[in-house]
Amino acid sequence: MATIDLDQMLDKVKASQWALKDIDWDAPGAELITDEQWPKLRDFMVDLVWIEHVGARGFAAMAKNAPTDTLRQMYHYFYAEEQRHANAEMALMKRWGMLDGDDVPEPNNNIRLVVDWMEKHADELPYNVLGTVIPALEVALDGALCQFLLETVDDPVCHEAFDKINEDESRHLGVGFSVMEMQGHNQASVGMVRFMGRMFQPHVLLGLAVYTPLLNKMRDNVVKVGLPEEKLYHAMKKFEKIGGRTEQGRRNPMFQFVARHMRVMVDRNQKFYHTPVDLLVKLTDRIPAWALPDKPGWVGDVTWKPTD
Amino acid sequence: MVRKQQAHNEQHTHAMVIVGAGFAGLGMAIKLRQAGIEDFVILERASEVGGTWRDNQYPGAACDVPSNLYSFSFAPNPDWSRSYSGSREILDYIRYLADAYDLRRHIRFNANVDSLRFDEEAGVWRAHTDDGATHVGRATLLASGPLADPEYPNISGIDDFQGHRIHSSRWDHDYDFRGKKVAVIGTGASAVQIVPELVKEVDQLKVFQRTPAWILPRLDVATPEWNKTLFRRIPGAQDAMRKALYGVHEAMALGVVWNTPLTKLLERMARAHLHRQVKDAWLRRELTPDFTIGCKRVLMTSDYYPALQQPNCKLITYPIDRISEQGIRTAEGIEHQFDCIVFATGFHVNNQGAPIPIYGRGGRNLDAEWRGGARAFKGTNISGYPNLFMTLGPNSGPGHNSALVYMEAQLDYALQGVHKILQEDLKMLDVRPHVQQKHNERLQKRLAKTNWNSGCSSWYLTEDGFNATMFPGFATQFVQQLKTLQGKDYIKV
Repeated sequence: MATIDLDQMLDKVKASQWALKDIDWDAPGAELITDEQWPKLRDFMVDLVWIEHVGARGFAAMAKNAPTDTLRQMYHYFYAEEQRHANAEMALMKRWGMLDGDDVPEPNNNIRLVVDWMEKHADELPYNVLGTVIPALEVALDGALCQFLLETVDDPVCHEAFDKINEDESRHLGVGFSVMEMQGHNQASVGMVRFMGRMFQPHVLLGLAVYTPLLNKMRDNVVKVGLPEEKLYHAMKKFEKIGGRTEQGRRNPMFQFVARHMRVMVDRNQKFYHTPVDLLVKLTDRIPAWALPDKPGWVGDVTWKPTD
Repeated sequence: MVRKQQAHNEQHTHAMVIVGAGFAGLGMAIKLRQAGIEDFVILERASEVGGTWRDNQYPGAACDVPSNLYSFSFAPNPDWSRSYSGSREILDYIRYLADAYDLRRHIRFNANVDSLRFDEEAGVWRAHTDDGATHVGRATLLASGPLADPEYPNISGIDDFQGHRIHSSRWDHDYDFRGKKVAVIGTGASAVQIVPELVKEVDQLKVFQRTPAWILPRLDVATPEWNKTLFRRIPGAQDAMRKALYGVHEAMALGVVWNTPLTKLLERMARAHLHRQVKDAWLRRELTPDFTIGCKRVLMTSDYYPALQQPNCKLITYPIDRISEQGIRTAEGIEHQFDCIVFATGFHVNNQGAPIPIYGRGGRNLDAEWRGGARAFKGTNISGYPNLFMTLGPNSGPGHNSALVYMEAQLDYALQGVHKILQEDLKMLDVRPHVQQKHNERLQKRLAKTNWNSGCSSWYLTEDGFNATMFPGFATQFVQQLKTLQGKDYIKV
């Protein structure tokens, strides 16, 4: 697949907007969630809402650092769209009786730490780091988690919402992979040197320290919900395949790094990686609530209400 | 009776026909009268004088240039109540000009000029009004204002909204905002003045922002009585104040017009202002511009940021998808519902077309000629359109100083032109095409180095990035180039 025309894509993004009001959240079908599904699904949805919310913050950072006005506008839309996904997923939670009040349930400690890190460092993160990490996570979300959700949940409103969400995500991915190829362009030998320089900055290393346990925890949680591990493998293979479809894409050192990391992350047999990261998960779980950082101003701007 | 009046208008040829009874039109009239020229007519589309300041009477409307500078040098007002007076007071000043200089008898109210046509044979301009009348003048001043017609944003569904719609420059003073849910679209010069006032009245206010502006604090204080007395008794003191203000604003050009160390200093000041008034880091981020200060209009307010943080106010930065029957849908998927939408979305800018149909020599059409970007000579004349003068025409916009300083220089220049036409009995005083071309080449070369052309999108630029709006220099330079009308620059017939 050739690099896409970003101006045309921006027009398409603008023309493909939808709103929560377009969905009848009271339509029949909520009763199709089984008692067995409900608690696991609730935990999964809480994580999902938070991941979308944090993803939105990532796109906001990319909008700030985008190299062109078209990309700046595009990421600004993607930022809002991720918020829309979080809102729609919260509306599903409301529909399924999973909300206690109007607010999104509290996130786990790992998400709290990632939120704090994003607030402090996302805007100064090298553009191609988020430009590669976000597509990888979206492939995991879109290609594995959400597909799995649609296979196991019969509620037609859930399908309607995720059809719309997935259409948005496919545009995000189209842009994401194109940008990764652009990043790989002209990045031969010097690219790796620059990349290593960027990676060894303290805030990036700290980011890895909060990001990797979150991924591990998410991975184990979704497997607990019933997601077969192969689906994660396949999703990551898809990321590697599409991201590496062109010479430029393969030359992007960040892509190489993220693809390898994702491969290791989904494979529980890679003990050298999982043992220390699991230890980090355990440690972060034990952080008491009072010791967690304050939530920044953008957190909580999520609602299940289609109108306000 | 009407026919008789029309016939009379058709027959009589004025020394000058002035289009618009705002600051510029009245200023020209005063200059003409002071020069002993009494035979002129002012055609005003509304039923009152005032132009921009008659139209912009929204709550909080005020000028962001100090009043002692935002007034005519030849008509100082010692009684300005504040350092930055509100629009009502500025309108009163304009009304005072009309009355004090006995101009109302020259004004034809409700006379909306729908075309201007140059009669080459007779060497006169014919101004047609939409009531069927024609007014003839040896010269014409187009003083219709660069920011006279409201601009609505290009948002789909804008006509679907069933609630109340108000444009900032056409305020509905009868609408009761109390207890209402209100949206303000836009965060430019009008919005930052409207929001602090509306937030006091409405139940809920949401402000929709596309791009944040650089905002500097405005030191607006009430004028003490002793100050007014001083200015009344010693006019020289007010003149000295005006000169001091002028000097300070001229110095601002060094930071606003060009990218210099002062630019960074101004940005730092604006950031400090934001930091001092907004404690939440995310809101600060949303309100921090990502372009060089000066690239878009710099705003002056100390009330806007606090207003945004009131409990009944919320800033929305998600892109607007469409306007629906009940409100505004944004890209985060929520429909924000309102009783009223306020469009603080500025004005139609004539940088790619003429404000009204204007036909010059050989029937040439200004609107067509300006499609690719408006070009003029010193922002005042246009080659091929003899005896036509403009105020605040192409490339005469200031980014750092009082527009009235620029306007006054243009009025003096136009007066020289009128004198020449009358004294030398000219049919045509027309800028030589190559003179205008050279002038514009120089302007564009200099504009390329300014902050306005540094990469942001603004109403100063056309969609192609052509700057047909601003003057790349100090006000002093602008005034200097208009000191003397050089005969060699013109074809005289």
